[in-house]
Amino acid sequence: MQRQFELNTSLSNRADLEASDLSSYDAVYLGNPFCRIYEGNFLERLNDLRQAIRKVKGLGKKAYVCTYATPRNMDMAQVRKVLEVAASEGADAIEAHNLGVVRIVHREFPTLSLHVGGFANIYTDLTALVLKEHGALRFTPNYELSLDEIDLLRERSGLEIELLLHGKIPLGVSHECFLLAHQKAAGVRCPQICQKDWFLRGPNGMVLKSMGKWVASGTDMCMLEHLPMLIARGYRIFRLETISETPAYRARIGRVYQEALKATLNDEQDRFLSRQHEWLKVIRELCPNGLSNGYYFGRTGRDYVGKVPNIRMEAKTDG
Amino acid sequence: MVELLAPGGKMEMVKKVLDCGADSVYVGPKGWSRRRLEFELSDEEIQESIELAHRWGKKVRIALNTQPKSVEAPALLDKVGKYAAWGADALIMTDVGCIALVHRHFPDLPVHASVSANILNDEDVRFYEELGVSEIVADTKLSVRELSQRSKIPVGVEVLVHASHCYTYIGKCWMSSYIRTEHFHLDEPPAISPPHHLTTSPIHPFAKDTFIGSPNRGGLCHRVCLQDWDADYGDGVLPSVQMRNDAFFLLEDVPKLIDMGVRTLKVQGREYSVALVGEIVRFYRDLIDAYTASPTDFTLEPFLQRLKDLWHQRDEERKRKTAELLAESLLPVVGRV
Repeated sequence: MQRQFELNTSLSNRADLEASDLSSYDAVYLGNPFCRIYEGNFLERLNDLRQAIRKVKGLGKKAYVCTYATPRNMDMAQVRKVLEVAASEGADAIEAHNLGVVRIVHREFPTLSLHVGGFANIYTDLTALVLKEHGALRFTPNYELSLDEIDLLRERSGLEIELLLHGKIPLGVSHECFLLAHQKAAGVRCPQICQKDWFLRGPNGMVLKSMGKWVASGTDMCMLEHLPMLIARGYRIFRLETISETPAYRARIGRVYQEALKATLNDEQDRFLSRQHEWLKVIRELCPNGLSNGYYFGRTGRDYVGKVPNIRMEAKTDG
Repeated sequence: MVELLAPGGKMEMVKKVLDCGADSVYVGPKGWSRRRLEFELSDEEIQESIELAHRWGKKVRIALNTQPKSVEAPALLDKVGKYAAWGADALIMTDVGCIALVHRHFPDLPVHASVSANILNDEDVRFYEELGVSEIVADTKLSVRELSQRSKIPVGVEVLVHASHCYTYIGKCWMSSYIRTEHFHLDEPPAISPPHHLTTSPIHPFAKDTFIGSPNRGGLCHRVCLQDWDADYGDGVLPSVQMRNDAFFLLEDVPKLIDMGVRTLKVQGREYSVALVGEIVRFYRDLIDAYTASPTDFTLEPFLQRLKDLWHQRDEERKRKTAELLAESLLPVVGRV
């Protein structure tokens, strides 16, 4: 039976893939788009990437291949090699954040399906339409957009929209690794240093997460209680952003949202409500810094709108 | 001949930089550029800037480099129509769809791709060139060597000689708005403190929303990267770490950039004082003139001391501004959905 929705996630390397229970997911984004020296990065280990595509497809899931988010000229040869592997192995799509990569996929790899990622800065329907002309089938809107704005993009572009449903919200990408300067103080070196969870804590409960060249929210985006609303609005493709998380996190959060999605789509409102408490218990365990809804409700990205009491002291609720 | 482009964050600054030797000035219409309202001009001031610059044989570029909302496209076209009629010399833009739209409606008006477009490789350049862009701003992360390999690209290149090296790629960062955003319609500006969120109110077809704390959406960045962070890595905490975000001046590279055929050298800094910006522009005017008058006899020596003084003044102003912005990032957000 065809699935009514797509729940996907992301992982960087073979070790992560082998340790992850992906049974809750329909598709997986392979590769770390932020750092060329990330340990075991699929985007540098092309044999691993080949095997990973085969494995994911063998599990009956879609294998999507990431590309570097901010490639310079010196990176483009490697990007092309990744695209060649993706094409030869029959990857189900490429995710491109960089417009130069979008152009290459469209012109040189027309058989590859193209998803445009959140760092491509799609803020307007006009931009979505330009990217549609360049072969895009799906895109992730910029994370700063509200759901009202995203609705309009979807309606006017006619493209598939992938929404971040849970996980660290991508907030920035850099050319230099923030963590390299702290190797000595932390007593751990590259490439192991970013395997640790680095949380940057500031005043007023501010918390960010650093993977070196990637900055994300320190709290977890959580749209669990708003899932029925997202489904009612017509969204069916959801990402659980787990690129910086452990396999255990990936598996547990996947189970929560798969169950919640099924309950919502099967119109099992009672089941949704009765299970919500248990799901939130898991989420609270996995997300000790608290929850936010990002920008979906037109608020500051770290706010949480909803009735679920949050872990963080400064969180706002409308309940 | 390389063009020296300078900021016009206020009408007074427009006059000052043109007087100090800028070949052109860039200004942002209120709500439409990557600065907050106090560093942007009204349309009347923009018209006055164009008239003034043209009288002096100089040019005005209009920065429309915020990422607008989809519903704001008619307002954008309306504005561009006015600027084109007033004789604006070029637009500086970021949003890919808006660039395509404007180029379709105003094919003779040059469009330059903003630094926030993050043009990092030759394929990026071709993408923007095919949209109709005639000049691109090189990302500040690119080295002169990387830029030199671009000499054969089919569009002009602009390089920032005074700007900031954000920790992240400019345009691909929303840390600031994640920490604190306020949002209001520009046709109903707040009397005291802007309401947090007004998207449920009717949107006037020619209104512009602006988001304090989101440079991509028309507000100034809170520079939260420069906050003192405690870096907690599980096995310990490193206190008071910051992400790197330095302001810079190019000096030794300027002759190389001129020789490479870079079309524009840009001084960034609409948020600095008029006096300081005037001095920076005078500095680069003198440097460019000295080098182009006699490349073989040119020496950097006389410019080193002048730059040292400018560097100090700029850092003092920047430190004050950063403290203000960080304090603002801690303020409670007013209003509710």
